[in-house]
Amino acid sequence: MSSRRSRSRQSSGSRITDDQIIDLVSKLQQLIPELRGRRSDKVSASKVLQETCNYIRNLHRQVDGLSDRLSQLLASTDTDSDQAAIIRSLLME
Amino acid sequence: MASSIPGPDTCPEFKRRKRRITDDSLASSHSHQRNQRVKRWRTQREQHFYSSKLIQALHRSRRTSAKEVHETAYRVLAVLAKGTTRWSRAILTARKMTKHKRAKVASSTRWRRPAINGEKRKTPVVQKKLQALGRLVPGCRKLSFTNLLEETSDYIAALEMQVRAMTAITELLAGGGPQPPADRLASNVNS
Repeated sequence: MSSRRSRSRQSSGSRITDDQIIDLVSKLQQLIPELRGRRSDKVSASKVLQETCNYIRNLHRQVDGLSDRLSQLLASTDTDSDQAAIIRSLLME
Repeated sequence: MASSIPGPDTCPEFKRRKRRITDDSLASSHSHQRNQRVKRWRTQREQHFYSSKLIQALHRSRRTSAKEVHETAYRVLAVLAKGTTRWSRAILTARKMTKHKRAKVASSTRWRRPAINGEKRKTPVVQKKLQALGRLVPGCRKLSFTNLLEETSDYIAALEMQVRAMTAITELLAGGGPQPPADRLASNVNS
């Protein structure tokens, strides 16, 4: 990330330095599977944020799909004994 | 180094990240707190806890539409956060209110933190993406940069756990039903 040569005028509440921003963005980058391996100075903040948004949307979609599928399965296996068995097997793992 | 995660790694569907970036630069107390938060949502135990809570909630409600499952999944997730994050509180608050009230609250929170400090040096592109991110994470539209990123990391970790848990439940339900599961068992299947 190139150094941001800001105007010397600083807002009174501005506590966040450029370095902090770089640091935070690189931390965020490590969470995104797409970007995890890459060197943080090669990925721009904008890209990290974009990929973060994409990743979150992706996760939302996955949850939606899983909700659909789960609701179908629950509707078809709606005997109490089945679900009890599943809960039991989950807890025993 | 936050590399120890309790519980056997028997989770087949998702590769679990066992290593985290070490925060050597932070003070030790801060890094301890950070490690705690980093482990959050990533342990096997938590996932099981969430799974059982979710199943119980679904079992109780008896209404199994996709929308119901979806809402329950997020609600249980938010409850697990125990009020420590803004996104989880936002999810729970949104549930309690009717649509009418939700509109009122949305407008009344505008007075809170109107200016995001430290934004002056960011380019408009980054600024726009930050806003987009703020819209994706519940309750985080007007957060400062630092807070938004913190909420985002926690939210992402929680979502990943949610996906892992729901996938596992789905596989169990799909494979463990009364009909003989064709693919699961190793034994020969009579056609």
